[in-house]
Order: sequence, then structure tokens, then C-alpha cells
Amino acid sequence: MSDEVGSAAETEADSEPVDESPTLYERWRQIHDNESTVAALTILGVALAPFVLVTLPTQLGLPSEYSWYHNLLTLTLIWGIFALGYDLLLGFTGLLSFGHAIFWGTSAYAAGIFSANVTGSPLAMILVGTLTAVLMAWIIGWISLRRGGIYFAILTLAFGQMIYYIFLSPLGDITGGENGFTGVQVGSLFGVVDLGRAVPFVPEAFVDSWMYVFVGAAMILSVVVGYRILNSPYGAVLRAIRENEQRAEFVGLNVWRYKLMAFILSGAFAGLAGSLYVIQRSFVPIENTLNWTVSGDIVVITVLGGVGSLFGPVFGAGLYMYVANIVSGMPVIGEFWHMILGIVFIAVVATMPHGIWGRVDWLRDRVADAIGGDER
Amino acid sequence: MSLVGELVVLLVNGLQTGAIYVLLAIGLSIILGTLKFVNFAHGALYVVGAYIGLLITQQISIANGQLAEWGFPTLGLGWGFIAALVIVPPIVFVVGLAMERFVARPFYDRPDTDQILVTFGLAIVVQELIHALIGPRSYTYDIPSEIAGGIPFSGPVGVPLSAVTIDVWRVWVIAITATLVIAVYAIVEYTDFGLVVKAGTRDPEMVRLLGIRITRPYLVMFGIGAGLAGVAGVVGAPLSNINPEIGMTILVPAFLTVVIGGVGSIRGAVLGGTLIGMVQVTLISLGTVSLGSLSINFTPWAQVGIYALAVVVLLTRPQGLLGSEEVTA
Repeated sequence: MSDEVGSAAETEADSEPVDESPTLYERWRQIHDNESTVAALTILGVALAPFVLVTLPTQLGLPSEYSWYHNLLTLTLIWGIFALGYDLLLGFTGLLSFGHAIFWGTSAYAAGIFSANVTGSPLAMILVGTLTAVLMAWIIGWISLRRGGIYFAILTLAFGQMIYYIFLSPLGDITGGENGFTGVQVGSLFGVVDLGRAVPFVPEAFVDSWMYVFVGAAMILSVVVGYRILNSPYGAVLRAIRENEQRAEFVGLNVWRYKLMAFILSGAFAGLAGSLYVIQRSFVPIENTLNWTVSGDIVVITVLGGVGSLFGPVFGAGLYMYVANIVSGMPVIGEFWHMILGIVFIAVVATMPHGIWGRVDWLRDRVADAIGGDER
Repeated sequence: MSLVGELVVLLVNGLQTGAIYVLLAIGLSIILGTLKFVNFAHGALYVVGAYIGLLITQQISIANGQLAEWGFPTLGLGWGFIAALVIVPPIVFVVGLAMERFVARPFYDRPDTDQILVTFGLAIVVQELIHALIGPRSYTYDIPSEIAGGIPFSGPVGVPLSAVTIDVWRVWVIAITATLVIAVYAIVEYTDFGLVVKAGTRDPEMVRLLGIRITRPYLVMFGIGAGLAGVAGVVGAPLSNINPEIGMTILVPAFLTVVIGGVGSIRGAVLGGTLIGMVQVTLISLGTVSLGSLSINFTPWAQVGIYALAVVVLLTRPQGLLGSEEVTA
């Protein structure tokens, strides 16, 4: 299940001479970058993840405190969506934002406050949250993108802190200040499906609640939309800007506008994820939504997992969530989990431009080439 | 009379708040201007300075850090604050040298993004190491009574001035900062060493062709910047709590100082830091202002105000108030 949307296709072209009679393996290589293949693999992955990660390890005798649990898996998917959108910006456009907590956080607040005052329909909450994030991304992108490179990182970081302080204190009457917003009222989906309930006819070993189905559907949708964007001419322009901004400008592209659109798009993904986060938690904690640590976490997740691919960031989200929630409780190394992640992060930045997933991808290609070579 | 008193307090508080930003911003600005290196771990140097200073000054009891479990329930030398003030800057200077050699130098030729990411990772590691070893709780320095007492005014901590008191330590912070800033400015502007650094900013290749080893001045500049951040950690710490997270929280205003003042400009850093400090303190002390039926409480907006200031400066003068176009380009 490759996902290196751009580079994989290129490397294949010169490493795989077309054979007269394609083997099963080669036929696989031909279709494995198709949109329907990617979508099918995502559906398969989302559907099987609870069984493989939650049920199976316990069945095999792994201590339950070291294995995944359903809520953590849902949280991982939510962060996965966030990371996927972030990668559109960092991995495909080459812009490093340190302020994505703004979009995750403001959408969370918007969805939460909307649910308390208007309606708790999850779809309406998502719509309101995502629109808020898009609006914020538009404004902040418009200002921050005036300066490139390092200034962009500094400005987005500064805006993140600014919004955090605005929500913390001057708007404290609406947002609940440092206690967070507690009045979230999540209703049922389409007025009939309670997200907390178990799904009928499906064993709990596979899916524990409608919430997972709901978040899983959002994940699949995000992957498909992300794939569409990246494989459209639009995505090609974004990659061109990453590779050489000046050249893209000379070709006649309005670089600034494309960057702004990439920023807004990734803000929309963050908004979707932030709304889902509130729907799952029924609470908006300010330290987990608008604090700069969220901006930092998403950078770590995306870079660890692997920039420039669709699955890398999702993989990074899984890794981060597992370490932050499970490894942190382990003896001896538990206390140092965050520091260890930091060291791994430095190592990844220094030596693996496409993250851990990129290295897995590379290894798999190596193995596949070796096997494919034997068959011929 | 009391208005004058309040203005004096405002000025002292503002200048002192700004002084901490200036100390941090000078290091950031010089490193960014000369080496074109973005240091997100600059705040970590501040934290390192603050914690080393803490351990030199006094004995601390470690509540829920790993060190307590490993048999060090209390830690610290208890040599007093003056000792910390003298010892910390050279230590952080050396830390800075190590950072330049092992973290920054391998990344000079890498893209900005990688520089930011690797220093950000380093900041996380430092923060979390302290978090794990010493624990998340906040510490406060014992008030440096040696210094406050050394001033021939009544009261060990404050000077009475027509119904207001000024913390003597704040005045000291301003004085120490001013001295250091002037010293660094003199080094950069009036010595051969500074000339090499400045030449390296303009055209590093030409400097190398002239047979000057540019790496050594860079190394020293990095160390000086780090040392200043360490000083900021020690002199700023008695005025606020210190905990592992302060590094990242102080980094943002320090960056804004650089952005407002202009990259690579020491005078710019001083101007930017003073502006930010004054705006912040003024908004805090304005409190609630009533205009007719409308009354606004400005205190919660103090943190927001400095960001607004930075945005305005960036939109109207992108290279910063005293920055030159070519350096920032």
C-alpha cells in the first residue's frame, strides 16, 4: 500500500522495465496508486484496525495495559486527519507552520459553543467548526504569507499564542477561560444514531461504537480528498512551489495564491479534526486545543511519520498516540517518553527526509524489487 | 506626585520586562543575521540558565521528578545568587559552543525548515529532560537579599518613593542588561573580531578567500548569544516562576523582538525589546478604563497587545524598524 504519491511513481518508471507478461506483482504495482485502490486500502485499514490493534493483542496474551484501546484508536484517526491536512502544507507545499493549533482549537470551540447554543447535530458541528477554521486560516494565512521561510514559522507561532491568550482571558466569559468550555451537547447523528452506542450486528471485537464508524468515515473521506488534491494539477503546482518557488513564479503561476489555498486547505482538515475531537470528548480543554504544544505535536507527528506521503502522517499519529498514552505508563522509560520522542524526532530530521514511514516504504520497495527480480 | 511615582514604576517595570527580551533577542538576532541560522532552541538556553542558576543559588526539594526516586530528594549547592550570576553565563556560553558545533553547524547548509525542526526537537528534549528529572512544578528563587540589601535605601526589597515602591532588583536587571548590550555592541562594532563577523554576514566566501577562518568567529558569536540567554535566565528568574515550559513561552516574545527590531541589528533588538516591554506593562497597569458607558479592562489584553504590535510593524515595515533590506532578504 504505497502512498508516495509523487516520487514513487517516478522511481518505478525507471526501475521497472515493462514485461511482456505481467506477473501478479507487477499488476499490483500498476494499480496500487489508483484512487480506488487507495480508498479500498484505507477502508480496509480503518475497518480492521480495532481487531488487529485492540482485540488481537489481548487474545495473544499481551498485558492489556500495553495494548491499544478503542478510544485511543478513535483519537488516533482524528489526529491522523489533522496530520494529513498538515502534510498538505509542510510535505507538499514546503511551508512550516507553527500555528496549526489555531485551526484545531478555534474549530473545537466553534463546534462546542454551537452545540451548546444551536444544535448538537454532529454534522452541523463539523460544518460550523470547519468553516471557522477555514475563515481563520484565510485571515492568518493572508497576513503570515507576506513573509516567507522562517518568518512564516515565527508569525504563525506568534498568531497561535495571540489566539490562545485571546481565548484564555479577554473572551473568558464565552470560552470558559482556563477551565475550557464545558457545555458541549453532542446530539445524535441524523437525530437517530447515538454515537456512543454500539453498532448493531457488528461484534465489539471489530467496532465498539458508532463514534468509530463516524470518525472512520471522516478519515476515509479525508484520504480520498487528500489524494484527489495531490494528484490533480493543483497538487502538481503545490509540489512545484515546494521544489522551486522562483521557477514556479516565472512559469506564470500566482505562487502567493496557491500557498494561501494550501494553507486554507490544511486549515480545513485541521478544522474537521478539531470538530471531531470535541464530538468525541464532549469538552473543549484549552490546553489541548489552543496551546502551542498542539502546534508542536502536529509538527512532530507529521515529521516523525513522514512528510510527503498520505499514510506517513497517519502512521505518525498512531506512533505518537501510542507512545503518549501507553508507553508513558510503562516503568523506567515511561517518565521519559516525551524526551525519547524528541530524540527520535531529531534523528528523523537529521537522517530521514521522509520520516519513519518513508524508510518503511523504501525498505519494502527494496524487498519487493529483490523478490520481483527473482521471479523474472 | 503619585502620578509621577506611577510613571516611574511603569517605566522601570517596562524597561525590565523589555530587558529580558533584549538579552534573548540579541543572541537570536545575531545568529540569524550572521549565520542565517534559526534557533528555536534559544528558549532552552534560557531555561538551562535559569535551572543551573537555581541549583547554584539554593537547595531545592524535588517533589515528583525522577531524581527524587533515584535518591536525590534535595539538590543544589546553596552558594547564593551572586555566585549563580557569575557562574551561569560561562556555563551557558560553553553549552552554546557545543550547540553550534554539534547541532547548528551540520545544519548550516540545510533548508530553513530543517534548522527550525532540529532546534525545535532540541528544545523539546531539554524541556522534557528537566520535566522528567526535576519535575513539572514551578520554583522561585530566594530573593537575592545580598543585592537588595547592598543598596543604601530603606527596606530590603523595595525603595519607597512617594507611596510607591520600586523593586531594586528590576533596576539591577536594567543595569546589567545595559552593560552587556553595550559590551556586545562594542565588540561587534569596534573590534577586528566584530569586523570579521560583519564581513562574514555580507560575503562569507570573500572572507574565506582572504584567508580568514570564518568558522571560529561564528562559533564565538553563537556562544555569546547563548551566554546572553543564560544571563536572561538567571536575572529574569527571581521575578517569575521557573518551570520546564518557560523556554517556549519566552521564545515567542523574543522572536517578536527580533522581528520588530530588525534581524541582525543590536540597536533594533534594544528598540524592539523596549517597545514590547513597555506595551505589555502599560496594558497591564492600565487596568479598567471607562469611557462614558463603555468600560474596557485592558489587563487581559496585555499578552495580545505585543502580537498586535508585531503584526502592525510587519505589515508596514517588513524588514523591522531598524533592519536593512539586504540582511533580511
